[in-house]
Amino acid sequence: MSHLKKILIASMMALMSTALLSAGSGEITFSEFTLDNGLHVILHEDNSTPIVTVAVMYNVGSKHEQPNRTGFAHFFEHLMFEGTKNIPRGEYAKFVERAGGELNANTSADRTYYYQTLPSNQLELGLWLESERMLHASVDSVGIATQKQVVIEEKKQSYDNRPYGTILIETMKRAFSEHPYRWTTIGDPEHIMAAKDEEFETFYKTFYVPNNAVLVVAGDINKEQAKLLVEKYYADIPTGSADLYRHNIVEPPLGTEVRDTIFDNIQVPLVLQAYRTPAMNTRDYFAIDMLGTLLSGGQSSRLYRELVDNKQMALQVGSFPIPFNEPAVNLTYAFSNMGVDPQELEAAMDIEIEIVRNTLIPEKEFQKLKNQYENQIIGGNYKIAERAHNLATAHTYFGDASLINKELEHYMAVTREDIQRVAQQYFIPENRVVLYYLPKQN
Amino acid sequence: MRHVISTLLLCLFTTGLMAQLDRSTPPEAAPAPQINIGEYKKFTLKNGLRVFVVEDHKLPMVAYSLTLDVDPVFEGDAAGYVSLAGDLMRSGTTTRKKAEIDESIDFIGATLSTYSKGIYGRSLKKHNETLLTLMADVLLNPTFPQEELEKSLKQMETGIQAQKNEPAAIANNIASVLRYGQADPYGEVVSEEHLANITTDHLKTYHKTYFRPNAAYLVIVGDINLKEAKKQAKKYFGKWEKAAVPNHQYTNWPAYQAPKVAIANRDGANQSTIMVTHTIPMTPGHPNAIKASVMNQVLGGGSFNTRLFQNLREDKAYTYGAYSRLSSDKRIGYFSASAQVRTSVTDSAVNEILYEMERMQTELVPADDLELIKNMMTGSFSRSLEDPQTIANFALNIERYNLPADYYRTYLEKVAAVSAEDVMAMAKEYLKPEQAIILAVGEADKIEEVMRGFSPAGEVTRYDFYGNKVSGAVEVTDVTAEEIIQRYINAIGGLEAIQDIEDVTTSATASIQGMEFNMVTKQKAPNKLLVETMMGHNVVSKQVFNGEKGKVTSPMGEQELEGEMLEQMKEGSVIIAETNFLNEGFTIELQGVETIDNRECYKLIVTRPSGNESTAYYGVADGLKYREVSSTPQGNMVTNMKAYEEVDGYMFPKAISQSVGPQTFEVTINSIEINTGLGDELFEE
Repeated sequence: MSHLKKILIASMMALMSTALLSAGSGEITFSEFTLDNGLHVILHEDNSTPIVTVAVMYNVGSKHEQPNRTGFAHFFEHLMFEGTKNIPRGEYAKFVERAGGELNANTSADRTYYYQTLPSNQLELGLWLESERMLHASVDSVGIATQKQVVIEEKKQSYDNRPYGTILIETMKRAFSEHPYRWTTIGDPEHIMAAKDEEFETFYKTFYVPNNAVLVVAGDINKEQAKLLVEKYYADIPTGSADLYRHNIVEPPLGTEVRDTIFDNIQVPLVLQAYRTPAMNTRDYFAIDMLGTLLSGGQSSRLYRELVDNKQMALQVGSFPIPFNEPAVNLTYAFSNMGVDPQELEAAMDIEIEIVRNTLIPEKEFQKLKNQYENQIIGGNYKIAERAHNLATAHTYFGDASLINKELEHYMAVTREDIQRVAQQYFIPENRVVLYYLPKQN
Repeated sequence: MRHVISTLLLCLFTTGLMAQLDRSTPPEAAPAPQINIGEYKKFTLKNGLRVFVVEDHKLPMVAYSLTLDVDPVFEGDAAGYVSLAGDLMRSGTTTRKKAEIDESIDFIGATLSTYSKGIYGRSLKKHNETLLTLMADVLLNPTFPQEELEKSLKQMETGIQAQKNEPAAIANNIASVLRYGQADPYGEVVSEEHLANITTDHLKTYHKTYFRPNAAYLVIVGDINLKEAKKQAKKYFGKWEKAAVPNHQYTNWPAYQAPKVAIANRDGANQSTIMVTHTIPMTPGHPNAIKASVMNQVLGGGSFNTRLFQNLREDKAYTYGAYSRLSSDKRIGYFSASAQVRTSVTDSAVNEILYEMERMQTELVPADDLELIKNMMTGSFSRSLEDPQTIANFALNIERYNLPADYYRTYLEKVAAVSAEDVMAMAKEYLKPEQAIILAVGEADKIEEVMRGFSPAGEVTRYDFYGNKVSGAVEVTDVTAEEIIQRYINAIGGLEAIQDIEDVTTSATASIQGMEFNMVTKQKAPNKLLVETMMGHNVVSKQVFNGEKGKVTSPMGEQELEGEMLEQMKEGSVIIAETNFLNEGFTIELQGVETIDNRECYKLIVTRPSGNESTAYYGVADGLKYREVSSTPQGNMVTNMKAYEEVDGYMFPKAISQSVGPQTFEVTINSIEINTGLGDELFEE
């Protein structure tokens, strides 16, 4: 049973490469500076384990792509492992692993993130490797050809072939008609296949520049020494000269409910409501996040208790806002139990949302919510790599890394009235896309 | 003087800043940092509960995990009850309903989960006592309410439905069944029928029998000291009553003498999930464990630089990822290598996995590669120490598996000592490509034929989600082997007509790995044969046999047929072999009905006077032959006949596919001519 839950949760969570900003067990101290070429640098020292994380977040995601060239940002995430002027093809990861480190990368609609965690005596190696990537990565035909094939297989494995794997693709193309959030990071493989090598070079020269990135060095470091090393490897990287494409598209309100049915290779029907939401780091966003916990956080949450335990209509329920930088959607969903009509299941979901709209949350339940956030936020940010990621995200999205220490405060400022208000304002039919995932007949 | 000094300073300053950085080589590492493994403390309660404490004061939180150390239980008809017993412990106690437990846990923002071999709880330190009160209650007083069982059964049934479409779930089920057998706890797959047999008594009995302090460990990690931990352990778990816990031994695991090839269908799959797996005698802390783990890391242990990842993803782009795993277990461990690949490269990808396994056994790992893997393992070990739970796990493992007390303190030294020779020895000992289960889940009809080549006997077995065989040979009693042969002879034209055949000339096109060949085959009664293979107009190979002797000419030279090959040629060159099957010296045995390419066929084993055996499949509906599996010196050859067509009143297959090992020939017959008066001289050397 728990195995199944894991699968279902995994398929929901796999949709997002950005974790919720879950800040601070107490204060995370850090210092920051900007090099002349525009590279912003954040240093965080914690000497309790002899490891160091070197991470770079580039301010480029699928929302910076052209509509006929979707999937580029993610494709670069693959390409950046191919090699650089001084690192032969296929050797990049070897340097890290030979030093006993680990590395990976991920792409979201908003940004691309590369990170490596090394034994702390290998800090300089990490800086050399990441700076190679920024200065002169190999964007050549061999690498492009190989990664084209790999990305096609990734699309099949993680989206087409994975049950419910197309959720975000199907949701976003209906929730947005103008804004680039209407396509997802994997994009349309045909765009990648059709792209010429020069297009990849131009993309690289435009976005992989110091003035479009933040470098985080966190862990067992000496700040002064780390600063000198950062300067050594990054100071002479030239500022990018191309214009950084920034869309100025504001998505109009949805205006009317959009409903659709997707027939997929699945067995358990899924009812999904995607409500359009405000941007992250706004009071309404925090309130919507808490509403999600009220509905689905823990077995005493409202949707769980009613739909899973009492009515036994659902196998699993959830509600959370997708942590995108710009206004996006909140996903509220239920996997139906056997023999349950999806329409009845949806009606039962709607009842619970209506109750939130009509009735103020009781004091005791609100206190429970606050306790849940206190536990979650204090318990988060434990690992060095997590902290590096959260610092980079806060800087890239909001230009303020210190937000990582203010999260508990932000959630505690939300009132019962706020939660009722966001339910009334955003959780309404004309602001949502409703998708039924149903089993394909043969 | 002052001027000199400032110039000097300026020089130093500018040199420091302006020196051209040499980026062409990686920087040297600084001196290696000290790696410290945190401490743990332990004590035992009077009832036998062993408690470990790891202090970590970074966060004001404490985690409690209770783990049972009991043998796996074979569940039989009610498979699934063990996991349900675990799930339902927190679904009601003598004093609390499930809703109250949920509410109390969520109110303190805590986690409390129960499973068949333990309980885990974690909360802020200030909510400790509330958490422990609930944890002890679900441990000591669960009631397993009937309505909660029904609810969970319904969810599990839905869960089984969902998993039926998970390629990985299908593959894992089949792999478990084939590795351990259905009579082993590890080989049990829960089905809807099993669920129907589960009662609350099953759950109560399991809980009462196995949840005993003398068979359990409690691990406490977090913002707590030894004194506090002792007080809490006594208060909440001291009254837990001990009792003898039964032991179980099951060791009847299947062994395979040759690769066992299995496939399963997933409708609409556009990829195949492939797996090569087998059991290994590997227990946790085994003297070979670290060496074998290094070997597995080189082969496919979850990094960019493994053989499988580099070969299947970076070199061939067959897949998004390919990995291997070597898992130890107190009873029996397993090895598996797997990937999800596009359907068209299913067999090629399996081949590459087998190739890489064999390469581990025959080539020494280059020093650089080995160094890299060892450093990775060292790094991964060091990073894991960031989490205090790791220290707790170390303590638990030392205790549970009777490891030396310094097992983890000396782990890095042991990794450093592993040599390339060790790695090769481990590959020879623990990788068994020749006795592995070779499994593919995907579009079964498309992959069945290509998978056949991996079985020396040409046997592919289809399984369903539960690991049960799909349409194996079904016994038949209404027909005899002789009748099937007669029906075949009648179906292709009748005995008299066949006896009129003097000679046959067949012209065909064959393709192998994208290359095309033309093949002209001339046969003359009773058993003369000439096969010429041409590429363009050049003859690349020629096989000739005059009934008594013959030879093969190929670019590799000329070879006179002798011994076994000559015998096979004598028996195999008969135009319609079946005309001899009813003669003395031949035995034919009916094996039953099997489904071959969606067609029901009778399966016959034919033994020739020489002792050579082959298996042939004849359609139940039309009597025609659709498959033949025969042994050749290169391995078993599987021939599939497709698309029969009438030629001068005789039925001949128009297309044939033939595979030996991983090679498959697709043969299209362009023309068949009968009785053109071929002279005997054609068949002389």
